[in-house]
Amino acid sequence: MLKGVHQKLEPQQTPAFFVRGASPFSRMVFFCALSIVIMAADSQLNYLSQIRQTLYGALHPIERIANIPSELFRDTSKYFSVHNELVQENYMLKQQAFEQKVKLQRLNTLQAENEHLRSLLGGDIPIHPFAILGDISHTGRDPFRNVVIVNRGSQHNIQAGQAVVDSKGVIGQVTRVYPFSCEVTLITDKNLSIPIQVERNQLRAIAFGQGGNTLDIPYLPTNVDIKIGDKLVTSGIDGIYPAGLAVATVTKIEQDPESQFAKIISTPIAQVSHHLQLLILELPESKEPEAKPLEPDSEEVLEKNENKKDKKRTKPRANP
Amino acid sequence: MQTPNLLLVYTTFFVALLCQLFPWTGQGVIFRPDFMLVVLLYWLLRAPHLCHIGTAWVVGILVDLATGSLLGQHALAFTLTAYIALSFQRRLVLFTVIQITFYVLSLLFFARLVILILKLFAGNDAPSWHYFWPVITGILLWQVLRIAFGSLARPKSSRSE
Repeated sequence: MLKGVHQKLEPQQTPAFFVRGASPFSRMVFFCALSIVIMAADSQLNYLSQIRQTLYGALHPIERIANIPSELFRDTSKYFSVHNELVQENYMLKQQAFEQKVKLQRLNTLQAENEHLRSLLGGDIPIHPFAILGDISHTGRDPFRNVVIVNRGSQHNIQAGQAVVDSKGVIGQVTRVYPFSCEVTLITDKNLSIPIQVERNQLRAIAFGQGGNTLDIPYLPTNVDIKIGDKLVTSGIDGIYPAGLAVATVTKIEQDPESQFAKIISTPIAQVSHHLQLLILELPESKEPEAKPLEPDSEEVLEKNENKKDKKRTKPRANP
Repeated sequence: MQTPNLLLVYTTFFVALLCQLFPWTGQGVIFRPDFMLVVLLYWLLRAPHLCHIGTAWVVGILVDLATGSLLGQHALAFTLTAYIALSFQRRLVLFTVIQITFYVLSLLFFARLVILILKLFAGNDAPSWHYFWPVITGILLWQVLRIAFGSLARPKSSRSE
């Protein structure tokens, strides 16, 4: 009896009265499969980056429209900023410029001296990279990643991999380039690591982002000579970040007696959330051909390089 | 209560995309509703002849592009949510406004959950419970849509409340 009732009800549940094309289930299966294929292609193979770039380029005009209200607000608030504030700011900037000019005078002589000394030692003369000024248009829309979007893209000769800095220190690295904007992954992002050096004792290490607002320096022994407050700077051995840029300060050291390694936490010096402008540094191209053949055993090579450098350093000292 | 046409549907999608692309900063990022998803669910339930699972997929891809996440993550989540939404769509006329609200709330939660699972598979960290705020703000946006474009519940049933 019950079976019969169900059979009578069935045609009511799926009436063929309206023509609706394929059933929702088959559509769902088709589109799910399609998105899984796309996800696999996007994560494992890099075929889709070009497609993503062009599609995002098509979205750009809409993004510009979406940005209009906040830009208007920013501009109007700028327009109505008080005269007094402007005078004060002008005074401060002039003072700052004056101080920096004095430093700059010394910098030129120091630079010349440095290059002279380096040429005496036979070392490479480091190329001072060009930089492009960019504005942060917004922090990324994906809550899982620490990125900012900057209003410079492939139209402004930005390439993926370029280092990004602000007036205080390293911010991160360009990871995706769109026609009119680029995505800068912050050094605190989980997927980014940066070769660093402790400024105090030149100890080299690699810092990994932790996802929050901190960096982690793993794989250092518990008796390592790092103290709270130590400043970490870029070591420059990766060929991406120029050496000597401030990265982070050590804020916390946990020494777990059971673990072989010290847990060293540091917070970045650059303040991404505090201002809108940043510099995108050009990739040092001249170093690449030298670095390429040395890739296979990078650690050994690094050691060799160090030895060479040490020899170079010691030789002139020994000669006189 | 105006009858929905294709132009109205696509205009609302465009406005939703504008809201999605708006440069959200600070606290706004946490509370920002999934504009595209809410609008998509509204039209899926209101006018399934204008907006179906294919639309959900396209909208998902657009959101993927806008957020810069792995292509296909939002598309998959939106497709699954759209399928569940559509499978109960014809019974909604029997529901009251409050029942429909809870139905949409659970759908929004489901979509967030699917995205979370996909993100975790892609190797992201588990976020804090703030991650689910957009479900609440999404339901507020739903009320706005309901007032602007008409309720899903049959007028008779809302009178008899």
